[in-house]
Amino acid sequence: MKRNFGGNVKRWTAVCLAALIALSLPACGREDPGKNLLTTKAKDKKTVRLYSPMEKTMAGGENVARTAFDKTVAMAEEKLGIRMDYITYTADDYQDKTYDDVAFDRARNDMDDLYLLNPDVIRKLAEEGKLVDLSGLDCAKNLREVVKIANVVDGKLVGIPQEVVVYGLFINEDIFKDCGLKMPNTPEEFLECCRVLKENGYETPVGANRWWLETFVFAQAYADLYNGGNTEAEIAALNSGEKKYSDYMRSGFEFLQELIDKGYIDAKKAYTSEAIEGERPDFLAQKTPIVMAYWSAANSETFYGKTDFNMTVIGFPSSRGQMPVVSMTGFCVGTNAENKEEALDMLEVMLSEEALQEYAKINRVISPSKNIETDCIPALKPLNDRIEEGVYVLGANASMKLEQWGNTCLVVRELLGGATVEECMAELDRLQEESMKK
Amino acid sequence: MVKNGNEEGKNKGFSLLLPILLVFFVLAAVVFSVSSKLTREMSASAIQNLSESLDLLRCTIETILNKEAEFQQLVAQEIAELRDPEEYIRSYQRNQTMVKMSLIRVGKTEGVSSTGEVFTEEELNFAAGGMVNGLHVSQSYLNYMGAWAYTIKCPVEKDGQVLGSLYIEYIYDSLDDALPEGFYNGNALLYIMDAESERMVLKPKGMGERNAGHLNLEDFYRANEIWEQDIRGEVSSCLETGSNIMFYHDIQGKDSLNFMWSVNGGTIFLVGYVPVEAIQQEGKTVNQNILIVVAVMLIAFFVCCALFFVNLRQQNKIRKEQEAEREMHSQQLAEALQAAQAASNSKTTFLSNMSHDIRTPMNAVLGFTTLLARDADNPEKVRDYTKKIMASGQHLLSLINDILDVSKIESGKVVLNLNKFTLSDLVVSVDAIVRPMAQAKNQNFHVEVMGIRHEYLMGDMMRINQILLNLLSNAVKYTQEGGDIWFRIIGLKQRSNQYEHIRIEVEDNGYGMTEEYLKTIFDAFTRAENSTTNKVQGTGLGMAITKNIVELMGGTIEVFSEVDQGSLFRVDLEFRMPEEQIDRQFWRESGIKQILAVDDDVNTCEGIRSLMKETGIRVDIVSDGEEALSLFEEQNSEQEEYHLIILDYVLKNSLQTARQLREAVDDTVPILLLTDVVTDEMEELSCMENMGILQKPFFVSSLKEKILELKEEQKEEKRSMEEADMLVGLHFLAAEDNEINAEILAEILEMEGATCEIVENGQLAVKRFQDSEAGEFDAILMDVQMPVMNGYEASRAIRALEREDANLVPIIAMTANAFAEDEKEALEAGMDVHVAKPIDMELLKKAIKQCVQKNA
Repeated sequence: MKRNFGGNVKRWTAVCLAALIALSLPACGREDPGKNLLTTKAKDKKTVRLYSPMEKTMAGGENVARTAFDKTVAMAEEKLGIRMDYITYTADDYQDKTYDDVAFDRARNDMDDLYLLNPDVIRKLAEEGKLVDLSGLDCAKNLREVVKIANVVDGKLVGIPQEVVVYGLFINEDIFKDCGLKMPNTPEEFLECCRVLKENGYETPVGANRWWLETFVFAQAYADLYNGGNTEAEIAALNSGEKKYSDYMRSGFEFLQELIDKGYIDAKKAYTSEAIEGERPDFLAQKTPIVMAYWSAANSETFYGKTDFNMTVIGFPSSRGQMPVVSMTGFCVGTNAENKEEALDMLEVMLSEEALQEYAKINRVISPSKNIETDCIPALKPLNDRIEEGVYVLGANASMKLEQWGNTCLVVRELLGGATVEECMAELDRLQEESMKK
Repeated sequence: MVKNGNEEGKNKGFSLLLPILLVFFVLAAVVFSVSSKLTREMSASAIQNLSESLDLLRCTIETILNKEAEFQQLVAQEIAELRDPEEYIRSYQRNQTMVKMSLIRVGKTEGVSSTGEVFTEEELNFAAGGMVNGLHVSQSYLNYMGAWAYTIKCPVEKDGQVLGSLYIEYIYDSLDDALPEGFYNGNALLYIMDAESERMVLKPKGMGERNAGHLNLEDFYRANEIWEQDIRGEVSSCLETGSNIMFYHDIQGKDSLNFMWSVNGGTIFLVGYVPVEAIQQEGKTVNQNILIVVAVMLIAFFVCCALFFVNLRQQNKIRKEQEAEREMHSQQLAEALQAAQAASNSKTTFLSNMSHDIRTPMNAVLGFTTLLARDADNPEKVRDYTKKIMASGQHLLSLINDILDVSKIESGKVVLNLNKFTLSDLVVSVDAIVRPMAQAKNQNFHVEVMGIRHEYLMGDMMRINQILLNLLSNAVKYTQEGGDIWFRIIGLKQRSNQYEHIRIEVEDNGYGMTEEYLKTIFDAFTRAENSTTNKVQGTGLGMAITKNIVELMGGTIEVFSEVDQGSLFRVDLEFRMPEEQIDRQFWRESGIKQILAVDDDVNTCEGIRSLMKETGIRVDIVSDGEEALSLFEEQNSEQEEYHLIILDYVLKNSLQTARQLREAVDDTVPILLLTDVVTDEMEELSCMENMGILQKPFFVSSLKEKILELKEEQKEEKRSMEEADMLVGLHFLAAEDNEINAEILAEILEMEGATCEIVENGQLAVKRFQDSEAGEFDAILMDVQMPVMNGYEASRAIRALEREDANLVPIIAMTANAFAEDEKEALEAGMDVHVAKPIDMELLKKAIKQCVQKNA
């Protein structure tokens, strides 16, 4: 035993020493550096400039939605060897130029290659011929019909979204239960809910911002148009001036006016509030029981994904019950973009089935591809059920000559600013006339 | 001593540990000090490095601004020379730097612009933009292209007369190319901030995140969690004064150098941060290398320490082993000494006991011999004395036998004499000896046989007997009067088809033994009591002999005992079964095919059935006499008859039933009473025709014998008459060297009506036989140990003689060599039978009868 132990110790010592020598040997060698001491870097990759409201995230970024978007960008960068540079802009306050204003400026001056644009901007820029027709891309083949309808201008598919954005009402279910309220289906029921909530001490039952109040208007205005089985004919009548948008939208504006008059919405605050930022704190603090937002806000912890109460998302009140409002932010390519081909290639990858699958999986949103299904969280079930039933209204429709989303938003802002419903209707009529002249 | 050694080892260990710890701490302090110094120096170097980089950037931007201003002055000079400057302005096409050109003539508030619209100065704030090369620079703003821009205002002069102002708009994006791409390998963040609005007007592309704070200074603070008011205050102060500031603050969990670097007199600032590790890349490597070196040194140090301790431990272990070995040797020596002393004591005690035990009967022999000589004329006393002398002699003989037995067994010279035997013989012979002994002490002796399947076995019956007698005699000896003794033979589960596995139990409720004694009960030369102080006599060798024999037979012996409760000896043995177990011929010849057993003891019934199973005879069992009687009363000719009835004595009115059965059953059917106690009434009953007593426990062989016995009962008397006169008229040749023994032999034979001729040794015996006439001697009685020629040689010589009767004349060995191997040797030498000395007349007669009859 003694001899064996001694032998083991010696053996292990020898092994340790050998390992140390082996480890320290590389320190003695050094590569011949040559005469030029500088290491030449490979030239930078080709770049594509993207104008979007968000910055490129680093790995481990907090925002889920952007992580999903960035993943698709990373996918494209890796596949094509092209680098995506992000050009961002966020308004400091309401007096600043808006994101859309800057988007117009940049697109009109061919500052960037790719743009992530709102529907109204898409329509205007497309009419100005600043956007490329994307219908030739492979990724455009599997798009849902609703996506195509919303993004076709003058027969050209000018924008493709990564998700179909569905707007709904985010309801604090606990407060509703405490007040003995059911989920409202019609505008009357909604007003009754607001009354009861106000009586129960919720001073401003509806949290609003300057961007999204038109969703109430759309839900009431177009519930029949999109779900009555005569959509095309009605749109044709609107485009020809046979029918007036104001006739459709009047009830919605009157409804908003009533909300404002009865103090269910704080018009002043809404007028100067940015989307989500304005109403989110009060909603999370359970001071405001109702806010409006889009689908993925319910999945994102940085928005409404993590609440201390039970939350449910329903459609906006309408004569046909809860009505989701569908809108989408699309990716577009500038006609005179410096790197147009590269931008189109990038889009092809970013909107491929694989990328959209990944995007939908992470963000749990409705995909623009008809081949991709989405899991939805329980809170979104009421909204999803309506979409599955095929009951919704479009917030933006390229086939309508009058751009909807942006114009209605501006007119609603006028209402918030103190204009009467009649004045708003007159403005809508004026806009309709203008659109018909184009 | 050992304890001291351990303490010494521990002290040594501690004394070594202290310097090791000291070296360790000194090393740690040196490394810490070097590392701290390096960190401080590297930190200073990092600040220096970043400051230089930022200064360089500042100079670059300021140079660009200056060049832009200089160029604008040249353009202004050119415009001044033009006839239609407005046309020049309108026709200007923007480039990547100058995106808009405008002109306002002196005295006017509106002018023309390259973008086509009317240009005014209203939206431009030249108050906060500072000066470049003597020209005013506007505050940054978002221009018509959606890009952050600034405008430089330059007077258009000709011949010293101011014609108007030239406004050229520059976008910050153009500065992007002048800034390093991937500041500090992309780890750092660099913005250009407009000092007045605190808006970020140029930000790096492709890095950061939503929380990076790209909007304005407040956003930058929020994103990087710079909440400290002192820092914010100092930054504000610097922004106001246009001075630089650099401070440490964690960004995204990394220690970073944050900076606000004034450009163009503080109108714009370079804002951002650089993680310290990005600046001190070499520092990180240096620290890592230091750590590696320290780690290697520590490992080496600890390995050395470990080796040293292992070696120390090993030496201690060896030392301890040596000490333990020495201690063990000492202990072994002490134990050996103790054992030797114990052995010596044991032998001494034994010798003392033996001396006492041998002297006692010897004293009796000598004493009674003296008395015999004195009272020779008194026949009554002579008989009494000779009886006592005989008893003492017998005791002496048993002592000597035991001593010799032990020494033989221990020296491994014992050979087992394996023969076929039956358990019934064994039980009967043991019972015959032990029961009287037990009865003498009014003890109840119970014999129980259970689960035996085969009673014919191969074994050394004599030795088994020896075992049983040892155990049982001890049980009798050490059980008080009126106590109980159980002798059980139990058939265990067979381990092999060829072997019967038997357990023998001897149990008593006697005095029992102490635990200490139980430990030495099987050792030779030990005894529960000292014979000199106790009346119970014995050699103390009985149990040693028993154990040795059991082990010789491949068995085991166990003992359980409690003082005043009794003892239980358990012997497990295996006996090979002879190939032919059953004598079916006998049963066929006897005409017995069916047996009726009348017994209410289930165990006994099962025993009978089990043992009879192999004979092929059917055994019917009824549990009482009345049932048996009714069975016979109802019996008719169609039914098969019972050829034998076994009736258990323990049954109620068993004797009466036996009589009734005898009357009811044909006389040719034997009726046997199964009993362990024979009473006078039973004896009387057994006198009836074809009626007998069968000793419990039931064995087939006993039954067989009993049947034979019944059949030959009538001849028995005649045969005994013949035996009585068996030796009359016979003439023997006796070879005996001992005169006394020869005389005794002659006298005994004479008493039986026989004559004998004595010769002194084997040679004379051979000669005498050779010279004798044929048939002169009926047998030769041959001693074995004789001078000149011993008995074996003489027997061989006689058998070798060329006479007709040389092989026929019976030669009976008469020797004190009483062991089985002696008998075997005698038979091998040609002798017919072996009779052990001292001569037992009955045995001698039996042997003579056996030999003489055979030759007759």
